[in-house]
Amino acid sequence: MTADLKTEAKGMVLEVKSLPTLPKVLDKVTQLLENEESSIEDIARVIATDQVLSAKVLKMVNSPIYGFPGRIGTVQHALVLLGFNVIKGIIISTSVFDMMVKAMEGLWEHSIGCAMACSCIARRAGFKDPEEYSVAGLLHDLGKVVMAVQLPELEERVSAAVKEKDLSYLQAEKETMGFGHDRINAWLADNWRLPPNLKEGMSYHHKPHQAPLYPDMAAVLHIGDFLVRVYEFGYSGDDQVPYLRPEAMKQLGFKTADLEAVMDDLGRELTEVADLTFG
Amino acid sequence: MLRASWPADVLEWTVFERARTAIETLFNEPPDLLVVDHNLPDMSGAQVASLVKSENVYRQLPVMLCLTPDDLSGGLDFGQVECDDFLMAPYDQDTVNARICLTLARASRSLDANPLTKLPGNTSIIQRIQDAIDRSENFALAYLDLDYFKAFNDKYGFSRGDEVLMMTARVIVNIIRGFSGVKTFVGHVGGDDFVFIVPPELAEDACRRIIKSFDDIVPHFYDADDRKQGFIRSTDRQGWVRDFPLMAVSIAVVLNQGGRLNHYGEASAIAMSLKKKAKETPTSNYVLDRREHPAS
Repeated sequence: MTADLKTEAKGMVLEVKSLPTLPKVLDKVTQLLENEESSIEDIARVIATDQVLSAKVLKMVNSPIYGFPGRIGTVQHALVLLGFNVIKGIIISTSVFDMMVKAMEGLWEHSIGCAMACSCIARRAGFKDPEEYSVAGLLHDLGKVVMAVQLPELEERVSAAVKEKDLSYLQAEKETMGFGHDRINAWLADNWRLPPNLKEGMSYHHKPHQAPLYPDMAAVLHIGDFLVRVYEFGYSGDDQVPYLRPEAMKQLGFKTADLEAVMDDLGRELTEVADLTFG
Repeated sequence: MLRASWPADVLEWTVFERARTAIETLFNEPPDLLVVDHNLPDMSGAQVASLVKSENVYRQLPVMLCLTPDDLSGGLDFGQVECDDFLMAPYDQDTVNARICLTLARASRSLDANPLTKLPGNTSIIQRIQDAIDRSENFALAYLDLDYFKAFNDKYGFSRGDEVLMMTARVIVNIIRGFSGVKTFVGHVGGDDFVFIVPPELAEDACRRIIKSFDDIVPHFYDADDRKQGFIRSTDRQGWVRDFPLMAVSIAVVLNQGGRLNHYGEASAIAMSLKKKAKETPTSNYVLDRREHPAS
């Protein structure tokens, strides 16, 4: 029964054609594209605040059409390689789902917050490409969006279980479906040929100690997800206080002082972002 | 019917009754287009087509096959028959004319494109540069190639090498096209050699942007451990084990201002000598040739 549900769900998930985007992000990108003075960097900055648009450009640039699948992991690089015409095409074919905007806003904030947290953590850990950790943070709950679009009935049952049984979203997913959004993320990342480090971040952020190839990435995401929940920035489906795995801290060589330093940075950045987007 | 459609100085037709007599002429003086009846007395049109196309020198010659409805219902396998288009009897003048124009246009479009990047190749590049010289346009002509590409190819294999070439082509094209409202051109000479043309005042900006994007992106094409250590260990032409830095771009830019250049060959000769200078450093860089006139 569970195996059947999983196969069926995987099929539905991978059939996803259009994902909802927040109208304000879409409007901003459209404005930038209409202005001849806009640079790729300007556009990248806005697209990198939206998990659906980011996922779309990364999916496209890593498709076999361009000839380098699995290589490109940042929005900025994706846009340089795609060019203005293709970006315009992606924007034109992106839909706004009005009815989902409310439900998505919390998840959108949570995802941006997590992206910022991951970037702070990666910098603190001294990693070379903080943008890649940031992208993985942005996409770490993409499976939840896809599920809401492709499997709305299952999604409702999961949300109901969160409320009725006081479970975390992941626990509720596992109880209702037998698998979580981390698994959905892995299906999507494989199907869209995203780089292997992004895939591992997206599919191991709840179990960083099991990440086989990119344990750094999984550890950064795990801590990032934890911190953004501690700050109660956005809403990712439940009000649970997650468990911070000590293995993740150990993986990065983090002490409590490192975490505090990251929290200071993150707190400042979150305030700025809140002013900018919701003020 | 074919002769009636175009004046002889636009399209000149040579007609043969039998295939065998035509083939020698086809090989010696290949035409721009071959229209062949499928039902010839001595061979089938498909045989003529495959005879011509089996030799790579003639592969690009567009071939149109004249068919009857019976030929089609007899089940022609276009996976096997090496023609580029067909005409169907009974012939309608307008359709035949349009089909011939379309086939010629399609052939000229695909003829010179680089099979990997689909960018225009040498013939188009030379034509484009010579045109600009003939019109005394001011332009900057840039030759770009990759440093340490061979070492990368040798270590990772040519399909990984092709990935890098595809990436390089995308970077150049998008940055050059990003300059809106000016005349630009991007071509692929072959291998890791590319060419682009921009107005002289944009040349340095274009070089800087290409270098920035290329240097940012290229590390992702290496395996994680090589990327981390910042070089690859590979065997050079003499059989020595050597360390090669990550790939970089070298760009040599020739400026044509005030009708300084007379011929395409001058541009490429100047560029080649500049390139040596650009290659002296292992990192990405560009060299601009600012001399006003060869004589001054």
